[in-house]
Amino acid sequence: MMFPKKYWTITLASLLIMAALIMISYHAAKQDSDTGFFRRLVLEAAWPLESLKNRSLKVLRESWGRYLFLIGLEAENRRLRKENHLLENQLVQYREGYLNALRLRVILKLQEQFDTTQVIAEVIDREQSPVFKSILIDKGTAHGLKVGLPVLGDQGIAGRITECSWHISRIMLIVDVNSNVSVLLQRSRTHGVLQGTGAAGCRLKYVPKTEEVKVGDAVISSGMGGIFPKGIILGVVAAVDRKEGGFFQRIDVQPSVDFGKLEEVAVLIPRKDGKP
Amino acid sequence: MIYAHLFLPLAGLLLVIFQTSVLNIIFMGRLNVEISLILVIYAGFRMNVLRWALLSFLLGFFLDCATGSISGLFTLIYVCIFFISVLVSMRVYAEQISLIIGFSFLCSIFEGLMIVLFFKIIYDINMLGSIVQVFLPQALVVSVLSPLFFKLFHFFEVSFHDGNPQPAK
Repeated sequence: MMFPKKYWTITLASLLIMAALIMISYHAAKQDSDTGFFRRLVLEAAWPLESLKNRSLKVLRESWGRYLFLIGLEAENRRLRKENHLLENQLVQYREGYLNALRLRVILKLQEQFDTTQVIAEVIDREQSPVFKSILIDKGTAHGLKVGLPVLGDQGIAGRITECSWHISRIMLIVDVNSNVSVLLQRSRTHGVLQGTGAAGCRLKYVPKTEEVKVGDAVISSGMGGIFPKGIILGVVAAVDRKEGGFFQRIDVQPSVDFGKLEEVAVLIPRKDGKP
Repeated sequence: MIYAHLFLPLAGLLLVIFQTSVLNIIFMGRLNVEISLILVIYAGFRMNVLRWALLSFLLGFFLDCATGSISGLFTLIYVCIFFISVLVSMRVYAEQISLIIGFSFLCSIFEGLMIVLFFKIIYDINMLGSIVQVFLPQALVVSVLSPLFFKLFHFFEVSFHDGNPQPAK
């Protein structure tokens, strides 16, 4: 043994203190130098532990965050449901507005062809009888309407006014059995009269068997009779039957306006100089 | 036995990382609960001098690295405290709770003073204000917790030595 046993402690203490003092001196002398080898070693050894700790803490923090999130989840869920209902209602309203605009644009485009003023009216009621087909609109004499004025739907002629109050008018649709409209077949220019048949649609009358009529031919207003302007579509030929007895063909016409879905109409008011 | 030599430095490193990060998070960086200091005092009171002197040296070095302070500062402080503890344990009965509390308090204050002194010498930074604001509360916390940690360390020591702890000096 180099030292007696009783000096071990003092020797060891001295050595360790000296080592620490050397480290401090080295640090003081080279403050800006690179990290020392042993220090790097410790930092490298600590890295996996630090990483593990950080991951654990992250998991802990996230779990805690999720727990807090769950506490507020029910209230938030309720709030979001309410908000969702509100937004759904808004969406329906916006969609409705958009569809209204589309329909009105079609109606307005149709009217632009004629030298008339028009009143846009909303359909407020429908006559549900199988043969009498009419609708009520929310405009009347107060808005310049009167009996006999033509009414357009978004796809063509809808009918004409048969009754007129101050703020309500009744429209007789072209499918009403009392409706007769002077028409012509667009392709062959053959004249005829379009008569309503109720739920079945319309029938084109007084077309001789000699005339060639095809399914799909467009039926337009002839302008005669002084009610409907010329050239507006009323429907298309759905069926032709020449075998029936008599001079005329039996021609079924499918109205172009879907009366079941009619929501807005345009009433054409002729200008002061006369014709619509 | 070789496992003990490998295990203890690693455990020391773990302890240092735990106290510098996890405890700092728990106490929101306001209080530094220096468990490693209590361990050094415990080792000085009760453990093998040669092995634990080296371990104190390593603990101090780990703390230097973990805190990013002056290299060798905590190393020196821990070595000094360890040998002071060894000296004290030779002269007094080191099982009394009051002694443990009082001695831990003094060691913690000594540590604070050493830090202030070395920062003044090396960086010319005056940290006298920190003694009251930082080191005194820290010393109080360490001293209050020291009996508890002494019991804990004793428990580990007993477990480590299969129920045959080293006798108190």
